[in-house]
Amino acid sequence: MSLLEIEGLRVQFRTATGVSRAVDGLSLSVDAGQVLAIVGESGCGKSVTAMAILGLLPEGISRADGTIRFEGRDLLALTDREMQKIRGKAVSMVFQEPMTSLNPVLTVGRQIGETLRLHEGLGRRATEARALEMLRLVGIPEPERRLKQYPHELSGGMRQRVMIAMALACNPRLLIADEPTTALDVTVQAQILDLMRDLIGRTGTGMVLITHDFGVVAEMAQRVVVMYAGRKVEEAPVRDLFAAPRHPYTRALLDSMPRLTEGGEAPEELTEIPGVVPALTEPVRACTFEPRCPRASDQCRTLYPPFRECGDDHMVACWNPEPQPDAAVAEPRRQGEMKA
Amino acid sequence: MLRYMVRRILATIPVMVVVAIFVFSLLYFAPGDPAAIIAGDQATAEDIALIRESLGLDRPFLVRFGEWSWNILNGDLGTSIFTGLPITHLIAQRIEPTLSLTVLTLVFAILVAVPLGVLAAWKAGTWVDSAVMIFAVLGFSVPIFVVGYILAWLMALQLGWLPVQGYRSIGDGLWPWFRSLILPSISLGCVYIALIARITRSTVVEVLRQDYIRTARAKGLAQMPTLFIHGLRNAAVPIVTVIGIGFAMLISGTVVTESVFALPGLGRLTIDAILHRDYPVIQALVLIFSFAYVLVNLAVDLAYTLFDPRIRY
Ligand SMILES: Nc1ncnc2c1ncn2[C@@H]1O[C@H](COP(=O)(O)OP(=O)(O)O)[C@@H](O)[C@H]1O
Ligand SMILES: [Mg+2]
Repeated sequence: MSLLEIEGLRVQFRTATGVSRAVDGLSLSVDAGQVLAIVGESGCGKSVTAMAILGLLPEGISRADGTIRFEGRDLLALTDREMQKIRGKAVSMVFQEPMTSLNPVLTVGRQIGETLRLHEGLGRRATEARALEMLRLVGIPEPERRLKQYPHELSGGMRQRVMIAMALACNPRLLIADEPTTALDVTVQAQILDLMRDLIGRTGTGMVLITHDFGVVAEMAQRVVVMYAGRKVEEAPVRDLFAAPRHPYTRALLDSMPRLTEGGEAPEELTEIPGVVPALTEPVRACTFEPRCPRASDQCRTLYPPFRECGDDHMVACWNPEPQPDAAVAEPRRQGEMKA
Repeated sequence: MLRYMVRRILATIPVMVVVAIFVFSLLYFAPGDPAAIIAGDQATAEDIALIRESLGLDRPFLVRFGEWSWNILNGDLGTSIFTGLPITHLIAQRIEPTLSLTVLTLVFAILVAVPLGVLAAWKAGTWVDSAVMIFAVLGFSVPIFVVGYILAWLMALQLGWLPVQGYRSIGDGLWPWFRSLILPSISLGCVYIALIARITRSTVVEVLRQDYIRTARAKGLAQMPTLFIHGLRNAAVPIVTVIGIGFAMLISGTVVTESVFALPGLGRLTIDAILHRDYPVIQALVLIFSFAYVLVNLAVDLAYTLFDPRIRY
């Protein structure tokens, strides 16, 4: 049994312009000790998926169907009270914005301690001792002093370390990290990634790593799910995906990726792929990537492609996938066309 | 921190001086001659002049202001023209009901308004939110005396649960004292509750959109602790500010409330003084009310640092 198994997850939002299908039939699974990366352009439903797992979609305007099984329990069927026992304890989360994700009016110690008191029922002393231990673990210098400080007294990198300390305080079995390093500068990014990989490796925690940065994927993950407009369009082990991306969208993402080591600048949001993500309110019949796709054919305009095996442990939803590397001689890459 | 507090306290002194000048001038330049009032209808012009001279009313503005201020600093608020009694004495007699009423209303209003505002914010866009906001608009627009008379009629005259009018001193026991203030506090508190609830709602709505609220929920915190620990704490500064500003409404409200419920407090004293054109008393009361307002807002300023560690002076 996998640690996390999502099947046919569908998340819909009621919006002014109609029902928006933010996540549309997503399936994936994560094993204990495994890091699964979810990549895709902004707006493709990555964060919504994360919030659905935690049961924190906005009430009233959203609806989630399908199943999200965590250690065999369907999280979507649980009440909020039951979810409260899981959140922060068995499943915890690190968010993208370390500058705003910590409460500005509570001390760091208080915010880490809150999780511990809530889930571990520790007393004041024990809570403080454990919070201190966590700060040490995430490599924060002078942890005694930091405990009494407020978030605004810490740098962005330090705050993200605090977030990680908070998320790992109760030894979760699954960690969801939603673009954990996007807001940080490059050197700090590398440190934070190292830290997370190290801590997760030690405890055998499973991880869903959401990112749009393939550098991060290469660094951290074993498996990748590529999302486009609320759907999974490709899934493969990291190495295979890098070696031979099969979906034209994945190919485009990889091609538009800035070289992490050359610039020194953090990679921007990916905007280099021509065209825009389709409106999620329109019904899906044809392939949603077709208008932007260099490999589009008539078939793509009539029917959405099935998600199918296209190689060893490699799945893709495309009528005309990119060729396998050994076939590449016969059909050269059409990168020039795509950029046009 | 301590330095800031001292500085802030010292900074209120010029404010108080300006207030004092303003209060003094207000009545100095007000139409109506106190000497003529004292002298009565039958007095001749000479009589009035004589009285004016004996009261020192013929002296220049600055001299009179200086003397008045000096006396106040020495704890002498002057003498009532109408009763001939020292004003400090009159105020000492009347201060208890007013103080009781304002403090009780303040506490009661905050205890009702803040949770109401948080509730409306949490349920923003639902019927709960609408109900709270309709109540807030009503509370704001219905005058105190209307609320007061309706409450007195219903709760006291029809149901007989509470006294219709009158004040019981706290010395007579806590319960009678409290009972005598329930209806006045509710009437007086309505506007205040409306004001605080509205600000609380709009501030908390804004706060609930913040990332750290999501973090709190992701930690496994339940709705209520999220709202009241993480939400309210961040909304505290605007709420406390409006509590301070709204205190002015509370003061002016006591005047009406004390009349409706026949409470022998400073509000009644104010009305009597105005009716009798008892200028020194009016001056003293306006001054006291103004100082109370300044002090409450000083307390509000000092409270900021308590709620928000980012505020450092
Ligand atoms: N609160 C919301 N109300 C309406 N639509 C939303 C809301 N949150 C997300 N969405 C929709 O879900 C889509 C996916 O968003 P998100 O998961 O945040 O993207 P990303 O992949 O960048 O994390 C967005 O395009 C947006 O239209
Ligand atoms: Mg996102």
